[in-house]
Amino acid sequence: MSAETASGAGGFDPGSMRRHFAILAREIAWLDNAATTQRPESVLKAMDQFYRLHNANPRRSVHRLGTEATTAYEGARATVAGFIGAGAPEEIAFTSGATASINLVVYGLARWELGPGDEVWVTALEHHSNWVPWQQAARAVGATLKVVPLQPDGRLDLAAFRKGLATHRAKWVAVAWVSNVLGAANDVPAICAAAHEAGARVLVDGAQGVAHLPTNVAALGCDFFAFSGHKAYGPMGIGALWGRRELLEQMEPMIYGGEMIARVDDATSTWAEVPHRFEGGTPNAAGAVGLAAAIEWLRALPAAAHAHVAALAREAAEELAALKGVRVWGPADGRVSLVSFSVEGVHAHDVAQVLDGRGVAVRAGHMCAQPLMRRLGIESAVRASFAPYNVRDEIRRLKDGVRAAQELFT
Amino acid sequence: MTQLYQATLLAHAKNPHGAGVVPRGTEDAEAFNSACGDEIRVKLAWTPEGGLARLTYELHGCAVSAASASLAAQRLEGKTPTEIATMAAAFDARIGRAGFEDDWGDFRAFNGIERYPARIHCAQLVWRAVRQALEKKRTEK
Repeated sequence: MSAETASGAGGFDPGSMRRHFAILAREIAWLDNAATTQRPESVLKAMDQFYRLHNANPRRSVHRLGTEATTAYEGARATVAGFIGAGAPEEIAFTSGATASINLVVYGLARWELGPGDEVWVTALEHHSNWVPWQQAARAVGATLKVVPLQPDGRLDLAAFRKGLATHRAKWVAVAWVSNVLGAANDVPAICAAAHEAGARVLVDGAQGVAHLPTNVAALGCDFFAFSGHKAYGPMGIGALWGRRELLEQMEPMIYGGEMIARVDDATSTWAEVPHRFEGGTPNAAGAVGLAAAIEWLRALPAAAHAHVAALAREAAEELAALKGVRVWGPADGRVSLVSFSVEGVHAHDVAQVLDGRGVAVRAGHMCAQPLMRRLGIESAVRASFAPYNVRDEIRRLKDGVRAAQELFT
Repeated sequence: MTQLYQATLLAHAKNPHGAGVVPRGTEDAEAFNSACGDEIRVKLAWTPEGGLARLTYELHGCAVSAASASLAAQRLEGKTPTEIATMAAAFDARIGRAGFEDDWGDFRAFNGIERYPARIHCAQLVWRAVRQALEKKRTEK
């Protein structure tokens, strides 16, 4: 790792990062961080400590462990709120992840408001989790699903979007902050401004952004913001939804049961205050605690760590594009953390299999973005995605594996 | 990894039997691999005696699915619908599980695929389409 110390951006040493991640001792080049990152020891320890020392069902019990569990759970909510620039912890609902957060907005609010003739906008690069819920809601109520197109350079065509908004039929806009395939951040503030001017609400899928970019929901200008813990060094099964307070107040619960009620009578019920009305059932308290620990870990990262990740993505894209028969997807600049590519004559799964044989873990497939794949004219692609613990030598291993796949199959 | 891509499998993937063009809408059945977006469209031509004259397919898929489709096209020629159904069940019972005995010939290249469980559904893609095509033929009678 000593060679890497010198090569890290801004004096940043990725080797020092690796010590925080026990799993990296397995000599796997983990380049599938956009699917899920690995978890630092501090996250695992926080969850372990919760179960070993403080475990109880939060918000239900008067005993001391109940109080401790509630304090830990609500403390995690405050940590999340601070991390994304929310106005108050009450604006944060814990969910199982970004997908659940998006579905909560669609089923809890959008479907009640949408009607025939209304338009719902998604963008051409959305993950299925920010496409299918809107698609199904539009179908159910007779609304129209509209798609913000891509420009040839791989960026969203905002001029076409603005033109489309001129009908004033748009009620909702769903957009990813950072594309999980193309790798660049979208101009979310501009999209939000245009949507709001047209009277539409905006939900931002922040899943690929929060681990890499400074997150501030007010600066983004959105109405709802969804993200997952596990793509930001936190545990699986926990995520959050932020919403503007007045919209959360209007939103219906989606999961009915314990915890989310104010009063239950035989035939009717009333709901608990926001956000608890959205958290029916025993919450994933240990997950929330783990997420808070991940956020603390992220906060301690130097800016150079993020620069290192962006540099790895840029260098990987440039070096792959220089290989004969390799096509790199997405805008040439502004890569946040990943690069997707295709190898002429070799299927993405076969590339990934050859790479796995060399201890390099990448994602291959449609990456839950089939509408985007169709627009690119492909069924699948290979994706390498980076984290602060990745090192430059892993790009070399990636390239060597791609060349080996080309030799095997072409 | 290299054990998965052994010579037999690569040979079939590079020069597949039965691969062709099956325009959308003309297929007898299609199957998708939800994990990767791969798809296959199959067309079954029958002889007057009721045997399979030719399995033609259009595949957008990986080397494993390509080799499997090639092996199926080769193996199923001349077989009756009943024989094909029996063979499809036998394939499913073996792929990733018991493995293929000597009388399966080149199918033995799939022995060991159980070490790559994510790839088993690639090998099954053509067989899912063939089973659907048989079902369609049966219900159309």
